[in-house]
Amino acid sequence: MARWIPDESGEEAALLEGLGISSTDALFTDVPKRARIGRMGVGAAREEPDVVAEVDRLLERNRPLSHFSSFMGGRLTSRYSPAAVDSIVSRSEFYTAYTPYQAEASQGMLRTLFEFQSLWVEMTGLDVANASLYDGATAAGEALLFCRRLHEGARFLVPASLPWEERSVLENYASGPGLRVEEIPYDDRTGRLDLDFVRTAVAKKDVFGLLADVPNGFGHVDEGGSELKSILGDVPLVIAADPLSLSVLEAPGNYGADVVVGEGQGFGIAPSFGGPLLGLFACRKEHVRSAPGRIVGATLDTEGRRAFALTLVTREQHIRRSRATSNICTNESLMALAFVVYATVVGPRGLARLQASLAEKARTLASGLGAIEGLKAPRFDAPYLGDFTVELGRGTADEFLDRLRRRRILGGHPLHDPRPASARGPERILVGLGETTSEKDIQKYVKAARAAIEAVGRSA
Amino acid sequence: MTFRQARWDEPSVWDLAPPRNAEAPPQISGIPEKLRRKNAVRWPELSELEVVRHYTRLSQMNFGIDTAPYPLGSCTMKYNPKVSELLARRKGAAEVHPYQPEATVQGSLEVFWRLERILSRVTGLPEVSLQPAAGAHGEYAAMLMVRAYFRDLGELAERTEVLLPDTAHGTNPASAAMAGFTTREIPSKEGCVDVEELGRAVSKKTACFMLTNPNTAGLFESEILEIAETVHAAGAMLYYDGANLNAILGVTHPGRMGFDVAHLNLHKTFATPHGGGGPGAGVLAANDKLGPYLPVPRIVKEGRRFRLDYDRPKSIGKIKTAYGNFGLDLRAYAFILSHGEEGLKHISRRAVLNSNYVASRLGKLLPRPFRPLVKHEFVLSGAPLKERGVRTLDLAKRLLDEGVHAPTVYFPSLVDESLMIELPETESKRELDGYIAAFERALADTPENLHAAPRSLSVTRVDEVRAAREPLLSWKDLRAAGEKAETP
Repeated sequence: MARWIPDESGEEAALLEGLGISSTDALFTDVPKRARIGRMGVGAAREEPDVVAEVDRLLERNRPLSHFSSFMGGRLTSRYSPAAVDSIVSRSEFYTAYTPYQAEASQGMLRTLFEFQSLWVEMTGLDVANASLYDGATAAGEALLFCRRLHEGARFLVPASLPWEERSVLENYASGPGLRVEEIPYDDRTGRLDLDFVRTAVAKKDVFGLLADVPNGFGHVDEGGSELKSILGDVPLVIAADPLSLSVLEAPGNYGADVVVGEGQGFGIAPSFGGPLLGLFACRKEHVRSAPGRIVGATLDTEGRRAFALTLVTREQHIRRSRATSNICTNESLMALAFVVYATVVGPRGLARLQASLAEKARTLASGLGAIEGLKAPRFDAPYLGDFTVELGRGTADEFLDRLRRRRILGGHPLHDPRPASARGPERILVGLGETTSEKDIQKYVKAARAAIEAVGRSA
Repeated sequence: MTFRQARWDEPSVWDLAPPRNAEAPPQISGIPEKLRRKNAVRWPELSELEVVRHYTRLSQMNFGIDTAPYPLGSCTMKYNPKVSELLARRKGAAEVHPYQPEATVQGSLEVFWRLERILSRVTGLPEVSLQPAAGAHGEYAAMLMVRAYFRDLGELAERTEVLLPDTAHGTNPASAAMAGFTTREIPSKEGCVDVEELGRAVSKKTACFMLTNPNTAGLFESEILEIAETVHAAGAMLYYDGANLNAILGVTHPGRMGFDVAHLNLHKTFATPHGGGGPGAGVLAANDKLGPYLPVPRIVKEGRRFRLDYDRPKSIGKIKTAYGNFGLDLRAYAFILSHGEEGLKHISRRAVLNSNYVASRLGKLLPRPFRPLVKHEFVLSGAPLKERGVRTLDLAKRLLDEGVHAPTVYFPSLVDESLMIELPETESKRELDGYIAAFERALADTPENLHAAPRSLSVTRVDEVRAAREPLLSWKDLRAAGEKAETP
């Protein structure tokens, strides 16, 4: 039995005595007999060493990233996090706290969240950031609903190259109020958005927002992004930005973005098989009362000392209920702490240097892969920062990646929607790099890729 | 208890070292000029030690469960076992990417699968998904599932309404509204659902009734079977908000009570740390009617192998990137293994015992609005304090000076000046008696002292009205207003 329930024998008797009852059965007389259950079938309790052994035995069936040369890319990264980040995140004054409802007892987390909001504001060039959302995809979903509060219409435009998971999450957010998510086609050579399509769609007057991602789902930077706002006019523009890219790319607020969302996992948060993650959201000040999520503001205490508190709460579910801007209650505060500690430890110049180094490695890998017959790398003729798309001339992405895996290489991930009803499309893989990717890893990938595509050719 | 929180005059990071943002970041070839950042991100360059000190000092100005009892009602702030922290940081847990090939993540998939099977038994509902990032996220996904279900039945045009009791958490109506439903609140009787009112309210327009049991007044809805019958007779779905599951483990479960779909909060009942507001981890559990609509992928076991299954034609699709919050799910799994069947039952017995013990004592000091038998939490009314010119908020702030966290205040709203107190099973009798004594001292203090509270924390009473009236929401705002983040 877990020792976390204090002293079973002695003190429970005293508590029962204090209540004048002989058994806890007397505390459940309000549960009708017909609603009672017997055993749940959960199994017997384990002692701590057994729990550790059992969980370790399960985890040994995983092959962690360090087992491989990893080229996993996209919104979720396998980048390195300095040890200082986890050291701060492990401080239990932070991680065992609840939402800072009592501002006076929670100044540490509130000030941290204020710093986090400030950092995302500086990175994006917008005015206001919230204290986080669940992940990049749900942040995009919240942005969709936010746009609808700012502008009439029924159609929300997204790139056809958007990762399928985000598209699916967006479709769910759109479905409640009966809105539609529509794809903007891209140029087959460059992957660039078809701006004429956007012009035509906007002219029909029922577009209430557009989301473009930077880099896009293929890993590329689309220079058309800076022209979108002039086409959209007063239709809100959402930019889904990779935070690291913003160390070298123009702040989207400076080219007309009304909202900037993003996935913050790459900043000090372990991939942990997909969670917890971190949703980023920023908007313009004049729209803050339509914004979703918790927001921390600066104020004073009764002695004139600087203090922080959750603010503009009349937007939120616990006050506004069905008319709230969002149902967000729990967010990702601890991950926001990791994000701001990571960025501050690495520093703005360090972030830009990291992005530049990833770009350089990516070019080396892409030119190596691009020289292989049967592979097109990078698939699109457009600038990229670290991730890029490889297209296979034959075989399937899964088969190709499986051959690489057997040589201890994680070669990226397939871009297609795995749901059977969806069109599979061309066999494409998104490839990414990290701090620890060495020249040797790159050569190993190129060599293994050549062998893999040749083998696929033979078996085809 | 004599208590003083650390009070560092700690500036914000940008005041520690004013950023040099003049220089342009390194240029990356191929990036067009108009998309290049002209100035580096305006953020300080600090030494690692300076960063570590800054956030260590901030942490010392924050309450956690490890600091003190944290009796926030409906939040189930129990001890977060350290062994779970250890396990979640194992390389085989943390350093695994969600898009790795299935053959390389069999361990993670098995953890998910095992936890889902256990939670299916705990909830009495056959189909489980761990995809939601939090409780409210699970509520929202469930409402989308209800929507999809009625669309398939051809009844969606008619079933546009979600009903909930006036004691419902705010997330319930917010989630229902986001999923496109209108909401309607059913007035309570003696703190519980008025089944006659409910009977009058349900109709062919009703898609779902959302209910927390025990409810937010800490009362078990004893007429739950009649409620389920009433809702189902109208062809509607019954939704279980699992925020208060900590009271009923092994006693009853949503399946037996007649619920069709449920969410659980692993960060409440199953002790995963809440991180100062998040992360959470949500669970969706559904019966055979709604199970096919759960988000994809589902985890399936084939022989000895585990696989992500996307072949669910009725599924609502995805609600989040990747699958669930694995780091939290693993912690919850270790927590459940440690307790086992008897331990889980013991959790609820002890949580309810703690709650009734403290309620019986504090009930002598302040009125308790409803029947005396409560579950894992209870509600008091601070209304009598008004005669002394004191409000519930003052009492809450004064409690902070005792070195304990305040209760949830002003919720549920059907009780005037409400305080909602929850002291879960991990609090010992000594801590409970200490809390009762602290409460007595706080209550007996003078109105002047209550108004002046708190005095032992890093700041005195925070002016929340000012924060909302003149919003300063970032460093950029502070700069524009000519204010520093430190004491102006």
